[in-house]
Amino acid sequence: MPEVNVNGHAYAVHGAVGTTLAEALRDELSLTGTKVACGEGHCGACTVLVDGIPTLSCITLVHAVDGAKVTTIEGLRDHPMVYSFVRADALQCGFCTPGQIISAVALVDSKAAPSTEEIRHAMAGNLCRCGAYPKIEEAIRTWQD
Amino acid sequence: MRDIELRQASSTTDVDGATPIHGGTEVVPLIRAGLLKADTLVDIRGVIPRGIDGARIGAGATLAELECDPQVPAALREACKLAASPQLRNMGSVGGNLLQATRCWYWRLDWPCRLHGGDECFARDGEHREHAIIANDFCASAHPSDVAAALLALDATLRTNRRELPIADLYRLPTEDDRRTTTLESGELILELNVPEPEGSVYLKAMERKRWAFPMVGVAAARSSGVTRVALAGVAPIPWLLQGGLDQATPLPRNAYKLDVAKTLVQRAETALNGG
Ligand SMILES: Cc1cc2nc3c(=O)[nH]c(=O)nc-3n(C[C@H](O)[C@H](O)[C@H](O)COP(=O)(O)OP(=O)(O)OC[C@H]3O[C@@H](n4cnc5c(N)ncnc54)[C@H](O)[C@@H]3O)c2cc1C
Ligand code: SF4
Ligand code: FES
Ligand code: FES
Repeated sequence: MPEVNVNGHAYAVHGAVGTTLAEALRDELSLTGTKVACGEGHCGACTVLVDGIPTLSCITLVHAVDGAKVTTIEGLRDHPMVYSFVRADALQCGFCTPGQIISAVALVDSKAAPSTEEIRHAMAGNLCRCGAYPKIEEAIRTWQD
Repeated sequence: MRDIELRQASSTTDVDGATPIHGGTEVVPLIRAGLLKADTLVDIRGVIPRGIDGARIGAGATLAELECDPQVPAALREACKLAASPQLRNMGSVGGNLLQATRCWYWRLDWPCRLHGGDECFARDGEHREHAIIANDFCASAHPSDVAAALLALDATLRTNRRELPIADLYRLPTEDDRRTTTLESGELILELNVPEPEGSVYLKAMERKRWAFPMVGVAAARSSGVTRVALAGVAPIPWLLQGGLDQATPLPRNAYKLDVAKTLVQRAETALNGG
């Protein structure tokens, strides 16, 4: 039975092999901040950090992250990036937002003040159906303000 | 979902009869779509080399690791950087990338086409805007690996747990008698790539949007000892080494545009290599 550390708490996960990390988070642990849109690796809505690295939880087997540290949007409640997204009004429907914030946090963790090109390169895997891209970019540019 | 067993590989000879899984970016969607009917998955992350040491690249290195390592030749670095999305590059290994299945929508929707063992290619008479323009007679799928095209131009060699082979020998065109597109045998694992340092190399990629898409056409060019090798992604059912120009191309009614794109990119790649 895999054991996963999610936002600092250890959980034993019970799903059969084939269960994804996204399903375990949402259905077993009731952490529904992580969204699933395409379910096949295209859109980035399901992005979480696995040992600090942005990872698509919809195509990650929960059994493959046995022993890993997972951070979901619920674990970033107090991160300044969340407030920056609110300040910049960086969302419309908000469905892509948890994934956007996860990728953005990993980016500024590796480089606090990324260039526009670095932001676009690092955020390319998070699609926004509402087209909030300019404001998302602004939120990442101004997160330390 | 069917019952699946997952175990850790204890050595590189411990995979017979099971389906290897590394990053799982290809295996997991295929299992969930019912296209890959595996009873046993074997997690090979613990036994596949991962480091990058000069010309030697562990097959377990991720695309994200390759895209920013200065030891890696430019064409391969750029192919990795332009492939897939940041999350997928964090997760996906280079070995797994070489073995990815076609993105042909008929195949992905499990239509009983030739590549699935049937006797029709639905794409040839149907929707083939994104399909192959070369060697597309039996199956018109377009190989989606940017990375493989770069390695083919760079004349890379693969080491498996059984043999060494030039990357060109990893691939075969599917035929009536044998529908496979690679020559990898059951139980055979790619362990390492050997990528000789070229005098110069480039990778150019045309996509339907600016970032993060499969190659419409990808062109890799590498020069060694004054000889330039050019290889393409997205134009044939397997990564394609260009020999004697693009006049052999046989585009289908709705994908002739790819030939123009390919010709332009080949020209630009050659100009870039020759310092033009
Ligand atoms: C949505 C999406 C978009 C993508 N876009 C691009 C793109 O634009 N360009 C591009 O080049 N690629 C693209 N890819 C492909 C991606 O790079 C590969 O899926 C990834 O690199 C595969 O690595 P993995 O470790 O996840 O493989 P896995 O999913 O673990 O395995 C893939 C296959 O290889 C086998 N395997 C894995 N490692 C080994 C090994 N060492 N020896 C023997 N067999 C092995 C597995 O059994 C399986 O058949 C995309 C993929 C997805 C899902
Ligand atoms: S192009 Fe190949 S994979 Fe697609 S329908 Fe034709 S035979 Fe099948
Ligand atoms: S839901 Fe995971 S990538 Fe779209
Ligand atoms: S805010 Fe609606 S998808 Fe991004």
